[in-house]
Amino acid sequence: MVGLNKNIVRSLLLGSYLLVIVIIISGISAVFVYLNTGADRSKMLHTELKKIEQYIPKVDWTPLNNEGRSMDEVTLNTLENDYLDAWYVSLVAYKTNTKDVIKDYFTDNARENRFDFIDLNIKNRITIESTTLEHHPTLNFYSEDGHLAILTDTDVLEYKRVFKDEKLIFETTEKSTYKIILLLEDGFWRIRHMVKVSTENYQKENAKVASSNLNIRGINYYPKDTPWDMFGGAFSKNTISNDFKIIRDSGLTTVRIFVQYDDFGKANVITEKLDKLKQTLDAAEENDLKVVVTLFDFYGDYSVLNWTLNMQHAKTIVSELKDHEAIIAWDIKNEPNLDFDSRGELNVIAWLNALIDLVKSIDSAHAVTIGWSDIQSAAILKDKVDFISFHYYEDLDNLAASIKSLKAKAPNKPLVMGEFGMSSYSGLWNPFGNSNNDQADYYEKAQKIISENDIQFMSWTLYDFVNIPNEVVGGLPWRKNAQKYYGFIDDNGTKKAAFKFISGQ
Amino acid sequence: MQHKFTYIFLLILILSSSFVVVKNSEVALSFTLETTQTAFEAGTTIVLKVATTKEIKPLLYCSNSYGSTLLTPIYENKILSYTFPSNISSKIGVIKWELIHEESSISGEFNIHPKQVVSSMETYIGPPSIEAGGMDYSMLVVIPTDSLDNPLAENTLVKTKYQFLNLEKQDDIYTKNFIAYKNIYSQNKSGRILVSSEALHTNSKEFSITVFPAIPIDFKILASRSHAYADGNQVTTFSTSVLTDVQNNIISDGTFVSFFITNDKGSILNTSGTTINGVATSKMIHPDYGTQWTVKAYVEGIAESNTITLNYSQVVKDFKVEFSETNRGISVGPLQSFMNQMIPDGLEVKLFVYKNNRVLETMTKTSFNGFVDFYLKPDVFKNDTYSIVLKTAGLKKTFNSKILW
Repeated sequence: MVGLNKNIVRSLLLGSYLLVIVIIISGISAVFVYLNTGADRSKMLHTELKKIEQYIPKVDWTPLNNEGRSMDEVTLNTLENDYLDAWYVSLVAYKTNTKDVIKDYFTDNARENRFDFIDLNIKNRITIESTTLEHHPTLNFYSEDGHLAILTDTDVLEYKRVFKDEKLIFETTEKSTYKIILLLEDGFWRIRHMVKVSTENYQKENAKVASSNLNIRGINYYPKDTPWDMFGGAFSKNTISNDFKIIRDSGLTTVRIFVQYDDFGKANVITEKLDKLKQTLDAAEENDLKVVVTLFDFYGDYSVLNWTLNMQHAKTIVSELKDHEAIIAWDIKNEPNLDFDSRGELNVIAWLNALIDLVKSIDSAHAVTIGWSDIQSAAILKDKVDFISFHYYEDLDNLAASIKSLKAKAPNKPLVMGEFGMSSYSGLWNPFGNSNNDQADYYEKAQKIISENDIQFMSWTLYDFVNIPNEVVGGLPWRKNAQKYYGFIDDNGTKKAAFKFISGQ
Repeated sequence: MQHKFTYIFLLILILSSSFVVVKNSEVALSFTLETTQTAFEAGTTIVLKVATTKEIKPLLYCSNSYGSTLLTPIYENKILSYTFPSNISSKIGVIKWELIHEESSISGEFNIHPKQVVSSMETYIGPPSIEAGGMDYSMLVVIPTDSLDNPLAENTLVKTKYQFLNLEKQDDIYTKNFIAYKNIYSQNKSGRILVSSEALHTNSKEFSITVFPAIPIDFKILASRSHAYADGNQVTTFSTSVLTDVQNNIISDGTFVSFFITNDKGSILNTSGTTINGVATSKMIHPDYGTQWTVKAYVEGIAESNTITLNYSQVVKDFKVEFSETNRGISVGPLQSFMNQMIPDGLEVKLFVYKNNRVLETMTKTSFNGFVDFYLKPDVFKNDTYSIVLKTAGLKKTFNSKILW
């Protein structure tokens, strides 16, 4: 017995000794391995910097006619990239009051000017959210050895919001002209001198689009089987064309469709999606329907630094489709007022304002509107939009009065009720819900108010949907189920009672 | 009675003064700009004064070339004073400002111009080396800056000065887009151009541009050798004439010259050298049989030489071959040179063993003291009849049907 105990103690001692040795050796070897890992050769050059699109202002170079050496396309591209990066890091630096990346894009002397400003703003607890929307650079000079370049950046459109103690103090849009000397150092074009030559406040005057004869009598459209995923893998022009025929035959003139920001590839719009959107418009044209395209849906970040990305998105879509016969209007954003609480009302309105200016600068022929989620918000930016559009899911009894007060606020603008409707769901999650007949009554009543008040409309929606993504109304079954039964046609393809009142005729 | 009037008077006074107070508080808030100056020299302290009717301190937004900020005023005697921080007032360009108050629409611009005193002459010269001949040039770019690191006003005179050999020259240029630039062309001679510049009595330091000779033009070559015998031992040295560019500048040291030697059989030998003081030399060992060399040199892609011809005469007229040890031992020699001296060691002798017109073995040896010995091993060559061929110094001897036993 004693012998056994002794053996156990011995083996334990031996084992723990071995264990300690193993731990020590592995520890030392880990340190040794760590110390032997040097700088990675592949990182010696800047090749590992992957370009992520985070800032895409509009850049229009004037044709090259510079003094000194003639400029080539590749160098000009590098110069433009570094110059815009210099702007971007400065914008970030002033927003966050940090100096981290400034040194990559400003020479030793020039960066001090930025640092002084950042120090001053830190001291006074000032932050500046800003972005630039347009640049019009001209290359004035390019030195013979290719190490020095001078630009005049004319009419740089700068949007700024100045905060003190995290409170918004001042908001401005300025149009300024800068003269800039850049030096090529360590493979970077760095700003050596930067002088603002002129500056003025900027207020864009958009051409008004005639919106009195739009005659929007329409419906919001998603295909039956792919709601909120209209341009995905299951896209079929036939299905859409058939649905559009039903819509046209019912006496309607217009459909409203949605472009989802992420789905369409954000700033770099996916060609395939754009093509499907175009096919949809073709289908509408073939069926003699007009289309309201909602440019932003499922987008909720209005931060100033991302504006250029949003604008790139809108620019790509609008410039591609503006000449399409089926387009009747652009709806900038679906229900932006729902983001007022989380993103700040001023943020959202400034964003909408800038986006309207952008869309109008590309397409001056079509009307622009905003799809407000309630009639109370509808007067915001009333002078910027060509017609006012609002969604109405409240009690119809108050509609006439609300329209009247909106008309008082915006007397000369056509009104479009961009979404309205009633779910015919009653079941487990809402036993006292509405029936198909209630829905029909609702539409009958709504159409009466519409014609009495002389407004235009787009109802929600053609079909009852079987599957609703969680992003739309959340995952709660009583909400989801209600959302499934807003259609004029049920999931078997049978027209519901309300169909009679779909066009009010 | 006397007191009564006094009281009434006091009462009126109090009433009227309170009326005045009421009136005072009803004065409408307004702002008036007091500062009229809109142009300042960089570095001067800028104080913007705004008269106000009430004691409030609205912020002032201001923005210049490098950034934007908010300024807080000092209120004194109904005057708001906004002192612009030095980092704003010291940089040239436009300062835009705006008083932030609902009741105010006061805004404006200041123009900051640079001090016309040069503190540094930022100079960039490139490329640092150019080619002689008056075609190539380097560019001098000068950014005269003031003590606050601002580029100077447009059209500031910059004197550029340069010296090359006996030439000293000065040119006047004017700043445009903050810089002044000048192309400096090379002269016909190679050498070094010294450059400096001056603006408003401030001089830059000295910069230099190296003027390298241009590319070489065609040249001549010559060969020297101790004798014309093809002894496979002595060395022929080739050298070029002095390589120059078109302006007669000796081309840069280290220019690579290739010599191509073509012999009677059309084989090409190649040797090369680099120039020192314009001359490149290169060597080649003599052939070991009589032949004619045609030699031409190139600076590849740029220039070439004339062609020279060299004749080498055969030195080994004949050689003896002795067989021994049942014909397995083969002794070649004596191999004798032009004065019948034993040929210097190292002459190559080749032995071929044929059987039915097929080569079974090739053996190569070099001479030692004028002789070469071969041995055909019985392990390799069975007892049989073979043909044996010997070649050296361009000569060939054939022994048919040699029996090894």
